[in-house]
This record gives sequence, structure tokens and C-alpha cells, in this order.
Amino acid sequence: MGTDEVDAALLGLVARGDSAALTRLYEAHSGRLFGYLLRLAGDRGVAEEILQDTMLAVWRSAGSYAGGARVTTWLFGVARRQAHNRLRNVAPPVPAEAVDRPDGTPGPDELAIAAAGGTPVAEAIGRLPDHQRDVIGLVFVAGLPLADAAEVLGVPVGTVKSRLHHARARLAQLLSRQGVPE
Amino acid sequence: MNERLMEYAAGTLTPAERATVDAHLAGCDGCRADLAAWAGIAAAADPDVTPPGPALIRRVLARSVLSPVVPPARGGSGPNIDLVRAELRLLRVRVLVASAFVMALGVVLAVVQGGGAGDVLALVAPVVAAAGVSGVYGPRHDPAFEVVAATPTAQRLILLIRLTLVFGYDLILALAASAVVALLGGSVAGIWALVVAWLGPMALLSALSLLLVVWFGPDLAIGAALTLWSLRALSGSVLAQAGWLVDLTGVVWSTNLVTGLVAGVLTVAAVIVAGRGEPVRHSRATYLT
Repeated sequence: MGTDEVDAALLGLVARGDSAALTRLYEAHSGRLFGYLLRLAGDRGVAEEILQDTMLAVWRSAGSYAGGARVTTWLFGVARRQAHNRLRNVAPPVPAEAVDRPDGTPGPDELAIAAAGGTPVAEAIGRLPDHQRDVIGLVFVAGLPLADAAEVLGVPVGTVKSRLHHARARLAQLLSRQGVPE
Repeated sequence: MNERLMEYAAGTLTPAERATVDAHLAGCDGCRADLAAWAGIAAAADPDVTPPGPALIRRVLARSVLSPVVPPARGGSGPNIDLVRAELRLLRVRVLVASAFVMALGVVLAVVQGGGAGDVLALVAPVVAAAGVSGVYGPRHDPAFEVVAATPTAQRLILLIRLTLVFGYDLILALAASAVVALLGGSVAGIWALVVAWLGPMALLSALSLLLVVWFGPDLAIGAALTLWSLRALSGSVLAQAGWLVDLTGVVWSTNLVTGLVAGVLTVAAVIVAGRGEPVRHSRATYLT
């Protein structure tokens, strides 16, 4: 039995009210789900709340899984909807535009990144527009094949590819403004 | 090839696809640089954090128990059969049996009476229906009143279902009574003449009773229905001298467009009032001494 079949079997048990199956399903996917949600939310606490929302939605609506898509695709679709529900009214945690700093000395953002042990690239990804962060999260954090990412987003595969290219160009732009080589 | 590189960096290619890309990369500096860029993004994008442990699922299950599920909206799939069935169980058997008994008595009287069979049924059927309707609502007579008040189902919908059940039952009783009387030769004009005799007053008295029970409670509803009923019952004898009263009861006690319309208006008013809460209660739980 491959992982997809295992997932489908677990989801079937969850639909019948088996909470142990929900725990197993969670343990199998929590790393990727949490990473993706952290990319979307930009804040660990918020990401954890959305992860709870997601698992609650899975618990309540496992029966609605039609079996058409892979379970992972379905899971990330649920997570994405929950994230949008919760983040709809929340202001983005960081400004979308990088602040120009002509003198080149580290500003508060850079100091915060250094303190958190993050890289400038990771920080720049946090500044990308929502739809570009979403696609980067699905492809590079969740590790979904392009076709699955396209299904979650409800767009053609070509659009996923072009969004990734735009995101990369935007990252290069943000980083060059800060004087960091790509 | 360019498009394969992002999947290569994401690690989502099959081993065979990876091998093809590897073979190409060996001889293509441009693609190697391109891959390095994607790989840099992929590495930076992954937050590399430990997710919350399985304790999160326990919190989720607790939330599932504590927070209510918003009931899915029912599509226009007709009447809710489960709700009707549930309300059917709340009908009090005593009331149903008593109604049938009184109606049976009416049949006996009508048959014995012979010529005035319609008048007898016109006296019996409305008061049976009005008394039955007076029990459909209110904290004192409804065993499920508190539960109903706390459910998301609209009070008005429940009231309408109960009204339909109770009034429908009394309607069937009255029709059956008319059929029996007609079969036993109690009416020369046939069953339709009998039905016309009681249908209007039955609807009007029931609607009045419904409005009063919803507004003020069952005592006033039964009281008002019985008062009207006695006026009608006595209009042929004791009150025969008061001509205007006889005329008035004659208008009320007939089946025509006006009685139908008034009954409809009263019912609508009752349903509107029903959504606003409990009937007015004047009695206190404890008396001052």
C-alpha cells in the first residue's frame, strides 16, 4: 500500500469518527502543513491556530473527501481555505514593500532577522505578495508536484509556473535593493 | 528543461526524471546556475521548524465538542419529515382521544336530531378544533417548550407544524363525522352541506384560539373560544331576543370568504407573535403575603 492509499484509508476512518486515525494523519503531514501555514501567516502562533482550524475542518468534513484528488492535495486545499478565512481581516505582519535604506547600515528588520537566525532570502520571501508566497509554500515547503499545487490553487499548471518565475524575479529585486546577492 | 528545474529543486521529480535532468545539467552551465537559484529559494522557503505535537489533535477534538457546528442550510427539498415526525410524538394522546370522543358524541346527536344535523356538527367541530389548537404552544402545556426555545429551529416553523398536525387531525375527524352522519341519513342535502356548516366557524375559532394562546396563553384562548361558542349555542333560545347578536353569530358561524380571510389573518398574526417569545404571564411564581 503506497502513502496515498494509507492516507485515503486513514481519512476514511476519520470520517467514521476514529480520532486515533486523525492523530496518525496529523503526524504524517503536520510538518509540511505547518511549514506551509507558517509561510502564509508569517507568525508561529497564528500558523498554529490555523493548523488547529484545519484539523478541525478535516475532522468534521472528512466524509466530504470525494476521492478524486490525492489526500495531500485535499488537505492542503483545506489548510489554504482555513488560512484565508483567518487571515482575511488580518493586516500583513510585514510591509509588502521593502523600505529603502540609502546608508546601507542594518535597519530594525535586518537586526530582527539576524536575531531570529533567519536568512535575508527567507525574510524576502516573507515580503512577497500573498499569491506568490502561497505558490512558493505549496511547491517548496509542502513539496507538492506542480500539478497538485495547481489543483489546490484552482489554476492551470502554466499559471503555477509563471507565478514561481514572477516570485523569483521579485525576490531578486528585493534582495538587490538590500545589497544582498541572489 | 527550465521548468523541470523548479521541481528538481523542490524534490518532487521521480528518480527517472531526476536522472534525465542530471544528465542535462552535467553539460549546461546556464541550467546549473538556474537550479542553484531555485535551490536557494527552496532552502530559504522551508521554515525548518518543528510542528506542534499530537497534543494539538486533543485540543482540536475538545474544540469539536465545545464549539457548535453551524447546521448546513437545507436546500428547498420540501418539508422536513424528521421534524414533523418529532412533533408528532409530542401530540398528547389524551387530547386526541378526547377530541375523537367529543366528535363521536356530536355524530350521535346529529343522527338523533335528524333535520338539524348540520347545526349540531357546526357546534361540535369548531370547539373541538379550538380546544386542540389552544394546546399547541406555551411553557405550561408544551413538554418541550424549553428545549424548543433553545434550539436553532425557528419557533414559528415548529408552531406551524404543530398547528398543521392538530388542525389537520381535527379536520379529518370532522370530515369523518360528516361522512358518517351523511351515510346514516342524517342530512338530506348530502355531505357537502354538512361540511359547509362547520368548516368556516372551525377555521375562524381555531385561528382566534391560536392567536390568543400565542399571545396570552391557553386559558384565555379556551375561554374566548367557549364564550363565542356559547353565544352561538344560546342564540337560538335564551338570546333569541337580542336580534343583533343572532345576526352577528350568524355571520361568524358560516363558511364564506370573510370567515376564511379573517381566519387567515389571525393565523398569520399568531405566527408573527410566536417568534417574539413566551406568552404574557401575569401570575407570579410566589405570592406576596
